[in-house]
Amino acid sequence: MTYGAWICLLSPLAGALAITLAGERISRRAAGWISTLTTFAAFGGALVAFGALWARDHGDRQELSTAYTWLSVGDFEVGMEILVDPLASVMMLVVSGVGGLIVWYSMGYMAGDDEERRFFAYMSLFVFSMLLLVQAGNFLLLLAGWGLVGLASYLLIGFWHHRAEAVAAAKKAFVMNAIGDATFMLAAVLLVWETGTLEYLGVFEEVGGLSDTTVTLVALGLLGGAVAKSAQVPLHTWLPDAMEGPTPVSALIHAATMVTAGVYLLVRAHPIFEAAVEVQQLAAILGAVTLLVAGVIALVQWDIKRVIAYSTMSQIGYMFLGAGIGAYGFAIFHLLTHAFFKALLFLAAGVVIHHLADEQDIRRMGGLKDELPRTHVAFLIGTLALVGIPPFAGFWSKDAILAATVESGGALGWTLFLAGLAGTVLTGAYAFRLYFAVFHGPRGEAAAAHAGHGEGPRSMLVPVGALAGLSVVGGLVSIPGVWHPFTSWVDETGEPLVEPVASLEYLVSAIAVALGLVGVWLARRAFLADRQLVTSPEAWRVLEHKLYFDELYDALFYRPAEAISAGLLHNVEEPVVERSLDEIGSGTIQAGGGVARLQSGLLRSYAVAVAVAVVVLVVVFVAVR
Amino acid sequence: MSGPGVGWYLIVAALLFGTGALGVMLRRSPLIVLLSLEIMLNAANLTLIAFARQHGSLDGQVFALVVMGVAAAEVAIGLGLIVAMARRRLPLDVDQASALRG
Amino acid sequence: MAGFLVWVIWFAAAAACLGTGVAVVSFANPFYSALSLIGNLASLAVLYLLLSAEFLAAAQVLVYAGSVMVMFLFVLAYLGGRADAPWAGGPPLLRTAAIVAAVALLVEIVVVLGLAWGDNLSDPAEVTGAFGSPAAIGELLVTDHLLAFEITSIVLLVAAVGGVVLGTTREKEATE
Repeated sequence: MTYGAWICLLSPLAGALAITLAGERISRRAAGWISTLTTFAAFGGALVAFGALWARDHGDRQELSTAYTWLSVGDFEVGMEILVDPLASVMMLVVSGVGGLIVWYSMGYMAGDDEERRFFAYMSLFVFSMLLLVQAGNFLLLLAGWGLVGLASYLLIGFWHHRAEAVAAAKKAFVMNAIGDATFMLAAVLLVWETGTLEYLGVFEEVGGLSDTTVTLVALGLLGGAVAKSAQVPLHTWLPDAMEGPTPVSALIHAATMVTAGVYLLVRAHPIFEAAVEVQQLAAILGAVTLLVAGVIALVQWDIKRVIAYSTMSQIGYMFLGAGIGAYGFAIFHLLTHAFFKALLFLAAGVVIHHLADEQDIRRMGGLKDELPRTHVAFLIGTLALVGIPPFAGFWSKDAILAATVESGGALGWTLFLAGLAGTVLTGAYAFRLYFAVFHGPRGEAAAAHAGHGEGPRSMLVPVGALAGLSVVGGLVSIPGVWHPFTSWVDETGEPLVEPVASLEYLVSAIAVALGLVGVWLARRAFLADRQLVTSPEAWRVLEHKLYFDELYDALFYRPAEAISAGLLHNVEEPVVERSLDEIGSGTIQAGGGVARLQSGLLRSYAVAVAVAVVVLVVVFVAVR
Repeated sequence: MSGPGVGWYLIVAALLFGTGALGVMLRRSPLIVLLSLEIMLNAANLTLIAFARQHGSLDGQVFALVVMGVAAAEVAIGLGLIVAMARRRLPLDVDQASALRG
Repeated sequence: MAGFLVWVIWFAAAAACLGTGVAVVSFANPFYSALSLIGNLASLAVLYLLLSAEFLAAAQVLVYAGSVMVMFLFVLAYLGGRADAPWAGGPPLLRTAAIVAAVALLVEIVVVLGLAWGDNLSDPAEVTGAFGSPAAIGELLVTDHLLAFEITSIVLLVAAVGGVVLGTTREKEATE
């Protein structure tokens, strides 16, 4: 059964290599098709692996496949190995399926760009990296995939390298992620030190025997990696800036797949987090804080993609919340539905941006309902799913997480629950603020790119349609009290700590939907009154500065570092290093001048020197004989 | 072995070597420097042959033969240099070939 | 009686050797110097014979006196009067240093010889008639010392090529 998984892993790599090696010998379109088809081939491989896994008995759905020994140091060995289990199979399907649709969409979106081949090579590289991340059979390969997705993300955010903002955003994303990579790395080192292995199954067996401090440190390191990759507070500032990348990149990397890697890690390494309860709770708290912070900032953003980016942060906050209280199945369920509707929102926004000749400011949009009817429907479906209106996908998953927080109980559980509910109101408000601003009201001043452009080529519309369909029905794989094949499938990898009863879920759903509708109502009222949701100018300023996180980091890290560098430059480098180099140089020249005077140019003097040396040497030889 | 002992030959070789060395160090004509070098080489050869006789081993003589070959090569190059200097109208005076002055 | 005769021959050869050596160094005209060197080589060959180095004595006369000196004389003839060089000159300090160094070297050699004289220097090994014969040398050259023999041949080849290169006039130089 693992050959399907290997095909899934390697075909995007083959695509990336093919496009890179072929270079200008293939047309731009061919590069797009190679990338699309290899990604769909990966989806086929994932389906095969999933089917084979499905056919197995419950409790036997786990297989480690080792291609070869990758690294061997003394007794410590790391294999080039993949682990196929229910969690990995779900992630494979999401990454390759949604990835294939988005790559296909890119063929239309990127048509005419200068460097399409490079774009598709990067996209394939990303899909490979992400698949490596979710299929890795040990922490080292996971870390390799972790770093590779960071690299692909960096390359794609800075894809339009002639734009200074894009380059700066790429650097920011890379540096923020590097912080997480470093803590992850430290956790891995600690694991090798304490358990002598990095294989998931081996590590999880050993966790019980480790000291509390060790487990806590390892869990904190992993959480650091997850927080950075998933753009959670306090390492979240890179994600909104990452919207400088092309829209399909935002959809694939910064909404559907890469940013959810942190959730995957929390679920994958759940035995470690369960052994360090405080850290797991910290993950839930960070998720709750993030979903509120992102929700309020999203209320005042003007850039269509940034609003969606903040909503992504907020939704991943829900997933962290779920994973943090031990509702692993629900967290992954929300990851799945979020991949559908968030990719849909980004791709639909991409159609709008494409239509308006790269205009992203919603103040210059409006009234596009009739111009882009199909996109309007798709965007509305995505928005409804995001807010969690039944029967759309987001409803089933988000409310399940909220119910689980209630079930987990205690002061913490109730606080998290209230935060989640507040987030629901915010979600309804900012999502529909965006929807109304773009599609309703008078026609905005941004002109259409050129007449008859319409809603883009078929390669753009089909993926949008497919994702819209998935956003409608995607949540039906788990209905409380009726059936729950999806969550019980994931539960085989991570046994949940909380399982709310169906009646509780119904109750929580009712409250959440009502609050979501309140948010929608607020947005509608503000829109009709032609005013903003946030009316207080002070609050507006604070939110516009994104709660001053960037300014805070600037003052805390950048300025001191710059001051120290400047101090070292003026007090150490210039006076000590540079001067000493100068002195060494001029000293050598002077010494050379002195020695050169010994060279008389008179050949006979050299002969005499040799003779004198021989005289001396004879004395020495005789003396020491 | 009747006649003078090997030591006497060595004294002759030493004197000859000193003479050649003086020629190399004092004379300014490259030709005579070259000839003086030959004298030094031959003094060394005489030493080699004397010791070969002393120890009854032919190795010293073979070495002397090799030195002769090398000396021939050296003369060929040395004379080639002198001819080249003459062709370029350079003075045949080692004191004036002073491009090595620092 | 035979011993006395050998002493006489040795004395004559040694005197000729040193005399011609001094002559080589002191003539102002290189032509005379070269002729003196031939005498020097010939008297050395006699000394070689006394040391049972028959083959080397013959080679000395053939290689040195025969070919090397002929080459020398050719060059002298080519250079003509330009070959005449001032006897000496240069800084007096250099001259003094040269003489001191040469004398010091000589003294040292004599001292070292004197130190070793008593041990075994006056007691040479017994040798047969084949010692120093062409057959014995030739056999050594192609057995024990083959590598040195071959390297010498390469050195000679390189010198021959080098001599040709140095002696060839290139167009550019000829017009300079």
